[in-house]
Amino acid sequence: MSLLSMEGICKSFYGVPVLKNVNLTLEKGEVHALLGENGAGKSTLMNILTGVLPKDQGRIVFDGKNLESITIRQSEELGIAFVHQELNLFNDLRVYENIFLMKEYTKGLGYLDKKRMITEVKKLFDELGAKIDPEERVENLKTSQKQLLEISKALFFQAKLLILDEPTTSLNNDEVAHLFGIIRNLKKNGTAFVFISHKMPEIFELSDRYTVFRNGEFVGTGLIRDTSPIEITGMMVGEKYTEQSVYEKRELTDTVLELENFTGEGFQNVSLSVKKGSIVGFTGLQGSGSSELMQGIFGSIPVYGGQMKVMGRKVANNRIHLAMKSKVAMLAANRKENSVIPDMDLLENMYLSEHTLSALKPVISVKKEKERFEKYRKMLSIKANGSSDRITSLSGGNQQKVFLARWLNTDAEILLLDNPTQGIDVGAKAEIYRLILELAKTGKTILINTLEIPEIQKVADTCAVFYNGNIVKILEHDEIDEVTVMLYSTNAAGDAATVAV
Amino acid sequence: MNIKSGKKSSENPILKFCGANSYVVVFIAIFIVYAITSSGLTMNGVMNVLRHSAVIGIIGLGMGVICLTGEIDLSVGSMLALDGGLSVIVFNMTDSILLTLLFAVLFGALCGLVNGFMVGYVEMPAFIVTLATMLIFRSFAQYICQHIDKPFIGGGSSVYKMANDQSAYQAFYNFGNGKVLMIPIVGVILIGMTALFVYLTTSTKYGKKVYAVGSNPKGARMAGINVSAMKISVFTIAGALVGLGAFLWIAMNASADPATTGNSYEMYAIAAVVLGGISMSGGKGKCLGILFGAMSYTVIDKIIVSLKMDSLINNAIKGIILLIVIMVQIAGPRIREKLQKK
Repeated sequence: MSLLSMEGICKSFYGVPVLKNVNLTLEKGEVHALLGENGAGKSTLMNILTGVLPKDQGRIVFDGKNLESITIRQSEELGIAFVHQELNLFNDLRVYENIFLMKEYTKGLGYLDKKRMITEVKKLFDELGAKIDPEERVENLKTSQKQLLEISKALFFQAKLLILDEPTTSLNNDEVAHLFGIIRNLKKNGTAFVFISHKMPEIFELSDRYTVFRNGEFVGTGLIRDTSPIEITGMMVGEKYTEQSVYEKRELTDTVLELENFTGEGFQNVSLSVKKGSIVGFTGLQGSGSSELMQGIFGSIPVYGGQMKVMGRKVANNRIHLAMKSKVAMLAANRKENSVIPDMDLLENMYLSEHTLSALKPVISVKKEKERFEKYRKMLSIKANGSSDRITSLSGGNQQKVFLARWLNTDAEILLLDNPTQGIDVGAKAEIYRLILELAKTGKTILINTLEIPEIQKVADTCAVFYNGNIVKILEHDEIDEVTVMLYSTNAAGDAATVAV
Repeated sequence: MNIKSGKKSSENPILKFCGANSYVVVFIAIFIVYAITSSGLTMNGVMNVLRHSAVIGIIGLGMGVICLTGEIDLSVGSMLALDGGLSVIVFNMTDSILLTLLFAVLFGALCGLVNGFMVGYVEMPAFIVTLATMLIFRSFAQYICQHIDKPFIGGGSSVYKMANDQSAYQAFYNFGNGKVLMIPIVGVILIGMTALFVYLTTSTKYGKKVYAVGSNPKGARMAGINVSAMKISVFTIAGALVGLGAFLWIAMNASADPATTGNSYEMYAIAAVVLGGISMSGGKGKCLGILFGAMSYTVIDKIIVSLKMDSLINNAIKGIILLIVIMVQIAGPRIREKLQKK
């Protein structure tokens, strides 16, 4: 008998159906990939399972029990644990305190049995191979450790089913491998996993079975070993999807950006020269300095030494405004934190940067701005009702296009894109890369920082691999592949490379 | 903090307007109470509402712009007393209305700049900075009044008085208490300044930046906005407005009392801003609401006078109305949502 079976689940919000008759079954000890684009209904279904939302219709059977209505507490007691993408931890508390919150062991009279709690947590961490000090404060942990802590928390209270919502977004490859090792071990003991991810290689490495949703509807389920990434992507996107190479070689002559011994917080002595109209990928493990270098070029973090020239002219890099004036733009990482102005509409969000450059003409011409907005809406195919929509009402991919429009609108020549496809579904990702190629053809220079090498592989002319705050290797388009990049970003090839130079 | 009413498009347009502009509803409600309680509503009485709202309304506009960036200024009341007092001295020395105005506005801007520098550049919390300057400004106002030569403060001992032997005295007083086409001059100035600030916040690039800084400071910075400079500028603007307020104050009263002038005005200004629908956490609300917020409070004063109640109950009533309005604004949408679910 299955551990979990959800049949014919329906759910609508304000009359709009978001789940139409979907099914999901889970066996003990399996990793089940739940797939679909953003908005396909994955999170809604998981929220129903964990008691966050009530279902409208359908049957849920968990561990032989028929569940009519579920509360959050009940689902916890049944052994269902949801490890969210945004971690729900208390940063000011210690590791063991987080695990035992509201479930503390006491010695009577409310006196906490710290010793026992710490020992048990230590035991669990040892079993998992997690190198975390139970008495450390959570704010001092690395993101990967926090992720492990969330999982440990669930395991400590005998979770039978763990829902992992994009658990690898902020982990580097070693950490992912470690996490997967732990998951495989737990599988052997019968723990089941729902694995939500947008990364195909991971899905195929870890999962046993898959279920695909599209627009709230059940599309299919099956064994991972019987399918292929292309087939799955096709199921998710809906139309016939083929991975095609969109790259074409272009004639690149003029140098537009030069860095000389550029040094700042997180990167040292970086020298780099970028040709006009080229697409350059930046990649490296988390903390390798690739994102920091971008921020340094844009002037949003301090630069201590070296110099930068844009189109032959020296630029001081301690002010975002100066970078913008010399036609450098940056689409920052963490869209919600760094780009979205939540109380403003699309037009206002799009025009913010242009306004800072044209502050000497203080009055706004709404008519003109709306025309420009329409132009970008067509060019970037932004899906919105109109320029007065709230930015928060758009999906991540469409928001990102608005911010791309924000910078194109400043007539920037050099676009720095820091992790531009973060939290964006497959369809929108492909679209963003198509746009990047088109922009490069019109002479814009584009630098992309990402950890996802297949993305760079599709579009980049060259790829700079970072290690420990410096560029260790610049790969040409034909040389870019995951193995080579990994070789350099872990510095496995480091010594050999230095000898060769 | 405005009630959001855009969820259902089939909604009644009048309800929609009221939802988005709750300050108008509040003002009308309070005004109706006033019309009922006062025996015989006169044109004069109505116009007096504008007159008595002028100073607090103008200070409120400055407070509003500060609140839109997510900051706060507790020093405006004390600043009004200090600026007013020194402006009286300037008038007594120069006998010039224009120079007095110039001084009042510039000195106010300077005080605001000091606040803004510490908040925007040094990045100290605005609450603490302006709490400190609140004490400093008030103390300066009182100390100078005691220790300056008597002729400078019109011969009094504890109040800054405009010397009535100055040739421009009468013109100045007439300006403060005169009318154009039935409307008090100071009321016209209030309406003009409100119009200016509505324009500034809705139709200029500067205004959009103010909202952006309040809505998401980090995002605003990454979009190229100099957040420190924006904060310094809003405090300076607010200071200049307090200066204008001080100028109007002495024009209307011919004096400034360092101990009482502007007492609790920071609280009234904040209340007017909140009543006007501006969110204290920044980024949301309209400047037009401040005019109505300030007038609502003036009308409450009038109601208490016409009911012949002890004016000491004044603040209790103002406080209760503030609580009720905010409660409706916050709980209203929640209740509506629950009703929709059922």
